[in-house]
Amino acid sequence: MTDERYLRQLLCWGATNQQRLADAAVLVAGLGGLGATVSQLLARAGVGTLYLVDDGKLDPPDLNRQLLYSEVDLGKPKLETAATKLCRINSTLRIVTLPGRIVPGFQIPSEVTVVADCLDNYASRFALETCLSPGTFLVHGGIEGDQGQVLTLKKGTSRPFVEIFSGSLQPPGPIGVTGAGATVLAGLMVNELYSVLFGEPKLLDRCLVVGLGDLHVSFLEV
Amino acid sequence: MIQVRFYSLLRLMLKQEQLDLPAREGETVGELLQRLQQQIKIPFLHKLLNEQGVLHAGTIIMVNRRNILHLEELATPVKDGDQLGFFPPGAGG
Repeated sequence: MTDERYLRQLLCWGATNQQRLADAAVLVAGLGGLGATVSQLLARAGVGTLYLVDDGKLDPPDLNRQLLYSEVDLGKPKLETAATKLCRINSTLRIVTLPGRIVPGFQIPSEVTVVADCLDNYASRFALETCLSPGTFLVHGGIEGDQGQVLTLKKGTSRPFVEIFSGSLQPPGPIGVTGAGATVLAGLMVNELYSVLFGEPKLLDRCLVVGLGDLHVSFLEV
Repeated sequence: MIQVRFYSLLRLMLKQEQLDLPAREGETVGELLQRLQQQIKIPFLHKLLNEQGVLHAGTIIMVNRRNILHLEELATPVKDGDQLGFFPPGAGG
């Protein structure tokens, strides 16, 4: 079934890159607007091992954009719910839940070479960076209203995330995010995750800044 | 020339993406900001500075790929050929 299952994407990137996905271990930090879609697309694409981290439960305002979940999941932990749904989407994968919150000292398994930062606040993002081993790639995504960004950093050689994003503001209260916006940014993140896994990151030390309101993209070198 | 680029909401607010300014001897980021505000008629300094003229959170200011909070903040010198970026990143996920 494998070749048939992945037929359409094999036509895009070939068997060698498909094997790279199968051999990969990716950690998705945060299973909300970005992470629910990022993890789903990675599962559908056949990424061999997915580590998942999230300590939240599903609330009604999540349903506009968090595509893995539905009304029956309200009140349930996102971590276990996402793992169950991802297993149903692709039962051939290894899906590992990591309970707890991203704080300094959080243990990231050594086989993880790429981490998707789908977190929703800068404090957790700064903590996540401290947990990465040298050489690990971090694909960061963020969204707020009609604006978002995607950036890849390599721990040890890129400028630290905490330095680049010093002075960023965490707005009080809920942040406006639409289903379309979160899905577009998640798709861009996954596109970059593939590039990293294929050995050709497109956004390494180069922040893609997306304006959905006027369909504008620009790049900020970091 | 000094190349100044605006990103995200600042680009939308100022209705421009890039502005080139002639360099001035010994100028700092803080002084350049004042000059930018004179040239751009739309008020935007309040997005970057508080009433005392101190940087507040919300917009990353880069000089040649370095966040000025890790340089000399508003006292960071700028010179001919430098590239500045003003970027208020999205916080949600």
